[in-house]
Amino acid sequence: MGSVSAKALEGGSDYKHDPLEGFPNGRKPREIKTTLEEMESAKIPLDKRDYCVDYLMKFLECRNEKYPWVYKCHHEKHEYLHCQYEDYLIRMKDFERNRRLDERAAKREQH
Amino acid sequence: MAALIKKALINPVLRNNGIHRLQFVRLAGYWNKDWKPGPYPKTDAERIAAAKKYGLLPQDYEPYPDDGLGYGDYPKLPLVSADMKDPLYNWDYPEMKRNFGEPMHTQYDAYTEERLSNARTRYSAKHMWGTFLGIMSGFLALHLLCEYNDWYLRHPWTPPQYPNQGKTHYTYEPVD
Repeated sequence: MGSVSAKALEGGSDYKHDPLEGFPNGRKPREIKTTLEEMESAKIPLDKRDYCVDYLMKFLECRNEKYPWVYKCHHEKHEYLHCQYEDYLIRMKDFERNRRLDERAAKREQH
Repeated sequence: MAALIKKALINPVLRNNGIHRLQFVRLAGYWNKDWKPGPYPKTDAERIAAAKKYGLLPQDYEPYPDDGLGYGDYPKLPLVSADMKDPLYNWDYPEMKRNFGEPMHTQYDAYTEERLSNARTRYSAKHMWGTFLGIMSGFLALHLLCEYNDWYLRHPWTPPQYPNQGKTHYTYEPVD
């Protein structure tokens, strides 16, 4: 087990504040369609079993099918990388949201 | 007409052959073994003969020491790299800055214009090394300080989120 996944299993990515605050109808949760059995069968490394694993599975499937003409999977690869970028944006927003809510909580304590 | 064609075809060949033949006559040899320096001169007569062979005055002629690593009777010439020579002088071979029949240094091929130079430099070697190492170690110090003190300026973001761990993570899309 890699150190990255071990760190992730310890947790710490929980929301400190109510994640639904400011969303009167709620937020769409992040979901994946790939099951654990499929990931184990495809031998996906633990640190790759994130919310982009659907795109990774598609990419690997395409590679398996088109090998050795792997350049034909450029579309799948690009989609996977774009998903990782979107994941980065979400986590960056999470951090900023958490920081601002912390500030607001501190102000409320002062008053 | 036939005579004209014959002249046009054969004359250039004859002319070129003539030049080649002349060069064979003018040069001292035509194969590498003919350019090999002779044995180390031991008597004065041999020294004078060797100096004449290389186009030098006898008082200027001095062979490399015969210590097993020498060059036979080849003269030990002052090393002047090509970029030290006058580019405006009317050289016989301007691209090599060299005159016809001029004796050449044994390391001449390494000291052409695009290769080595033995010109004196503006700063001493110690000064140049000091400048290089000073700047590089400055950058290295900056890098190490940033690397181990967490001084990097970067976008802060939360740790990776993984599904199937009993936690719910949300996107920023509101439910309609």
